[in-house]
Amino acid sequence: MQEFIEFGLGGIGIGMIYAAIALSLVLIWRGTRVLNYSQGGMAMFTTYVAWEVISKTGNYWLGFVLALAAGLILGAVLERTVVRPTIGKSPLNSVIVTIGLLIFLEGLAGIIYGGQYRSFPAAYSVRGLRIGSFSLGISSNDLFTAAAVLAAALILALVFRYTTVGLRLRATAFNSGVARLLGIRIGRVLTLGWALAGLFGALAGVLVTPTTFLYPNSMDSIFVLGFTAAVIGGLDSPVGAVVGGVLLGVVLSYAGGYIGNDLVLVYGLVVLALVLMVRPSGLFSSAAARRV
Amino acid sequence: MTDAAGLAVEDIVAGYGGVPVLDGVSISARPGTITAVLGANGAGKTTLLRAISGFVRPRRGRVLVGGTDLARRPPEDIARAGVAHVPEGQGVITELTVEDNLRVGALATRDRAGRAAALADAYRRFPVLSERRRRAAATLSGGERQILVIARALMAAPRVLLLDEPSLGLAPRMVAQVMDLVRQLRDDAGLTVLLVEQNARSALGIADTGLVLNLGKVVAEDNAAALAGDVGLRRHYLGF
Repeated sequence: MQEFIEFGLGGIGIGMIYAAIALSLVLIWRGTRVLNYSQGGMAMFTTYVAWEVISKTGNYWLGFVLALAAGLILGAVLERTVVRPTIGKSPLNSVIVTIGLLIFLEGLAGIIYGGQYRSFPAAYSVRGLRIGSFSLGISSNDLFTAAAVLAAALILALVFRYTTVGLRLRATAFNSGVARLLGIRIGRVLTLGWALAGLFGALAGVLVTPTTFLYPNSMDSIFVLGFTAAVIGGLDSPVGAVVGGVLLGVVLSYAGGYIGNDLVLVYGLVVLALVLMVRPSGLFSSAAARRV
Repeated sequence: MTDAAGLAVEDIVAGYGGVPVLDGVSISARPGTITAVLGANGAGKTTLLRAISGFVRPRRGRVLVGGTDLARRPPEDIARAGVAHVPEGQGVITELTVEDNLRVGALATRDRAGRAAALADAYRRFPVLSERRRRAAATLSGGERQILVIARALMAAPRVLLLDEPSLGLAPRMVAQVMDLVRQLRDDAGLTVLLVEQNARSALGIADTGLVLNLGKVVAEDNAAALAGDVGLRRHYLGF
């Protein structure tokens, strides 16, 4: 029974990380129909930024905030320079470019920082919480992680729903031709979408790296699972991204706990395959299946 | 309501790829008038509107709105200069609500106070939209969608309105309603309207002037009554 609860709660905890990555992917996919294969690489890079700041200043929160800012800037810059020319062209172009970006970012991090695993601090205690003698399987830091991702997702949802910026983003995502017709400068909107995605990726990075340790490939498997979560939820749906992330986290936690922990990525692949067979458009998508 | 401008197109050559669809087309529309653009499928009517609104880049020629040449500018700039284009197929953003569709119309061109005023105006002028404001635009009928996209175009307080086949797919009673609406926009709001239509009879019924395109050239241009009265022309190009 204790194991059951531990695995469940732990799964929700890591699921929030997948949700954050999934949200980044959905943001970019909805706005630009580009699948950002470099999302994990961007998150890794901004986590190195946080690491630099924390090492030099000893201030965790400063590093946290600057990583998020770096995510915004990195997303905007990459869209404007490297990704923009691929918009509207063959989908293969954006695939090649974003994979190239991933390789570039990981290589650059390797050159600057080397390949060794570095430790990265957590915001709060990582000791398991207990109620009496009952171990919950999650820590204060896990609670903070969940709260942070949920808060960010909620703010994003509110922005989308109630602000003019959000309306611009939605209109451009749903029908960019009509948006241009109405005078909206969709270029700027696309840049904003990428900046927000960079923000969410950066958030995922600083939240998960205490567990994975920091090295150039540290976000690779997280990205794969975040991508899986996005597909499960339906690439068009932010709600789907969060639900897909949590769902995947929980399923993998139980599978890893009861079957064996070495094959987590394989379980992820199995879940992905199952979802694609049964409901290829994702749980929350209303549209027909898309090519990926 | 708006500060209508005259629209003049001078010797436009435009097309897709190597083939020019418009082969030296000139039009002149005085402020506050309805000009019907008629002709068979493929004559270049839609391309003409797209050349004006910037989605097709004219290879040659000028597009003058209120005296300023807007040819070859990006569509966003042309929209912001007061040219509202309601495309063929309407262009309703079906995933958004009616209200959000309307609000998008004003985003690029009006300030906050203007947007609120424009929305109130739209609901006053089009009660059917007010009733359905929170519903997804996808749930609207064809006629309601046509009214929605015209209302959306008006949110920007345009000086020139380009309408591409507003009667397409509508029942005759809705067609009459839409044509009536367009006529009102000229009468009450003094808008300059370029009305592309296959339904030549309805279009000439409300237009001040008309022109006929054939194979990328203007083959006839006259006031609407004269065009409607030219039986030979009607039979040859306009189908009635």
